[in-house]
Amino acid sequence: MSTVIEANGLGKAYRRNWALRDCTLAIPEGHVVGLVGPNGAGKTTLLGLATGQLTPTRGTISVLGAPPAASPAQLARVGFVAQETPVYARLTVADHLRLGGWLNPGWDEELARRRISQLGLDPGQRAGSLSGGQRAQLALTLAIAKRPELLVLDEPVASLDPLARREFLRGLMEAVAEHATSVVLSSHLIADLERVCDYLIVLVASQVRIAGEVSALLASHCRLSGPRRDPGTLPAGQDVIEESHTDKQSTLLIRTGEPVHDPAWTVTPVSLEELVLAYMNPANEIPARRPRLGVAS
Amino acid sequence: MIRLSWLQFRTQAVTAAAALAAFAVLLAVTGPHLASRYAASGLSSCHGGSCGNVAITFLSQLQTTNPYPVVYLLGIALIIFAPAIIGIFWGAPLIARELETRTSTLAWTQSVTRTRWLAVKLILTGLAAMAFTEALSLMYAWWADPIGKAIDLGGSTSLFSGGRFSSLVFATGGITPLGYAAFAFTLGTAAGALIRRTVPAMAVTLAIFAVVQVVMPLWVRPHLITPVRTIAAIGPVPGNSQAVGLDYGNLTAVAVPSQPGAWIISSAAVSPAGQQVTELPFACSPGAGAKADNPGQCLNSLGYREAISYEPASRYWPLQGIETGIFGVLSLGLAGACFWRLSRRRS
Repeated sequence: MSTVIEANGLGKAYRRNWALRDCTLAIPEGHVVGLVGPNGAGKTTLLGLATGQLTPTRGTISVLGAPPAASPAQLARVGFVAQETPVYARLTVADHLRLGGWLNPGWDEELARRRISQLGLDPGQRAGSLSGGQRAQLALTLAIAKRPELLVLDEPVASLDPLARREFLRGLMEAVAEHATSVVLSSHLIADLERVCDYLIVLVASQVRIAGEVSALLASHCRLSGPRRDPGTLPAGQDVIEESHTDKQSTLLIRTGEPVHDPAWTVTPVSLEELVLAYMNPANEIPARRPRLGVAS
Repeated sequence: MIRLSWLQFRTQAVTAAAALAAFAVLLAVTGPHLASRYAASGLSSCHGGSCGNVAITFLSQLQTTNPYPVVYLLGIALIIFAPAIIGIFWGAPLIARELETRTSTLAWTQSVTRTRWLAVKLILTGLAAMAFTEALSLMYAWWADPIGKAIDLGGSTSLFSGGRFSSLVFATGGITPLGYAAFAFTLGTAAGALIRRTVPAMAVTLAIFAVVQVVMPLWVRPHLITPVRTIAAIGPVPGNSQAVGLDYGNLTAVAVPSQPGAWIISSAAVSPAGQQVTELPFACSPGAGAKADNPGQCLNSLGYREAISYEPASRYWPLQGIETGIFGVLSLGLAGACFWRLSRRRS
C-alpha cells in the first residue's frame, strides 16, 4: 500500500523545546484520515512538516513519496488549509480565486467558481468581512481547486459554530468524493471526525497510540461490564485498554479479535469517541499489539 | 507571482504615485517662476568675482520670498525621509505581516516556492521603491537647479548655504537616492523577516536607518576617497579664485583656490611655525590697528597659511557611485538574510 505521509523518527525542536519528537508513522493513501490527539501532541507540527512549512530537526518525512514542498511540482500535489483558515483580509473573494489561478498550474477555475456560487459568497466582498465559516470555505475552495492529490487540513473547523462546521465538512466530503483526493484532517472534535473519516490516528506526545480504519477499530474493540474481576485473568487475545472498578463491578474497554463468550460479561460496542478518549488518556497503558488482531498500522 | 505581488502592492503603489504627482504639481507651478527669477538676476551672464555678490543678492531675495524656502526644504525633507517611509511601510510588513496574519501558510502552500515568492516581491517592490525615490530626486533637481548654480557661483545665505556636497544635499541628488531607497526597503524587509512582527520591525527599521543617515555623511563619506591636501594663501573675499576665502570667526576655509565647487572636509589656519591656530592672532584682531581692517591680508603678511583637505568637484560622481555601491551591497546582503530566513522554514 502506498502512503501519503511517511515519517521516520521525525522530530522538530524550537530552541530546546521539542514540539514533535521521534514520530514514526505511515498514512495510507485513498483515505480520509482523522488525526486526533490532545493539545501539544504535535499534530500541528506534524502537518506543518508534511506541508513543508517547517523543516525537521531530526528524522525524515516524505509526502507522496517525495520531500515536502521541495519544488513547485511537489507543492502543486498537496493542498493545505491551515489552522484559523487564514485569507488575505484586504483582498476580495474574487481576488483569492485569481491568485489561486495565477499560482497553481492545475487550477480548476470552474470548480472554484461553482463552489463560491454554491456557498452564496459575493465575489466582490473583501475576505476580511467574511464570517468565520465563509472564510474557512474560501480557504477550502483555494485548496480544493488546486486539484491536489493530498489535502491536508489542520483543525479547520475548530473555531466554527456547529452549522458552519457541518457545511464545511459537507463541502470537504463532496470534493473528496468527486476527485478521489486523499485527506489528512486534524481535529479534536471527535464527532466531526466520525462523520467524515474512514481512518483514524491517535497521536499522544508524538507517538501513534493507535491507527487504523474506523470500521476495523470499532469492530475490534468493545466494552465489558460485570462483577468485579482482576483484568489479569482475561483470556489471551483480550487486551485491556481502559479499566474502571467499583467495589462490586468492573468495566473494561478491551481490544479483541474474537467475540467475547464469557457469560459473566455484558458486552456493549464502543463509540468512536469512547475509543479515542481511552487511547488519548495518558494514564492508560496500551498493551503491545498482536498481529492477529488485524489492526493496520 | 508578479500579478499577486501587484495585487498586494497596488494600494501602496497608488499612494506613492499620488504623492509623486502632488509633488510634481507643486514643483511645476513654482519651478518656472524660480527659473525666470534666475534669468532676471543676471547670474547667467556675470563674470569672475562679481558673480559672488550677484548670487548672494539672488539667494537672499529668494530666501524671503515664499514659497521658495518652503519648497526647497520640503523637497530635501521628502527625498531624505522617503526611503525611511518606504522601509517602514513597504519593507517591514512585506514578510512580517504575512507571518502575523498567518497568510504565509496560504502563500507558501500554493505551487510557488518561497524563494520565488520572495524574489518576485523583493524585486518588484524594491524597484518601485528605487524608482519612486529617484523620481522625487530628479524632479527636485530640475526645480532647484537655479539655487544650486547660484551657490556654486559663491552665493550663500543662512538657508541656501550647502552646495551639492553638503551633508543633506549630497544624499538627495545624483544616484544616491537609489541606494538609500534599496537599503531602507531591504532593511525593513529583513527586520520583518527576523523579528516576525510588523510594528517592532518598523521601529527597528526607523532606528537603524536614521543612524545610518547620520553616520554616512559625517563619518563615512569623507573617507570614501582620500582627500586632497593643500596649503593655500589666505584671501580676503569669497569668490577670489586665487586665495582661500576664510571664515574669520573660526579660521576655517570656505573655498579652495582654483577649485570651484570643491568639498572642504577640514581646514585650519597654520602659523609660520607650522602650528595649527584656532584664534585670530592679536595683531590681526579687530581693534588692533590698521592691519586688522583686512584680516586676510594681515594673516598672509604675518606668514599664516591655510591647510585644507578637500574633494575636488570632479569627484562628485565617483563619490556618488561609491556611496550608492555601498548601499547596493548592503541591500543585497539584507535580501540574502531574508532568503536565508525563509529557507529555514520556521513557520
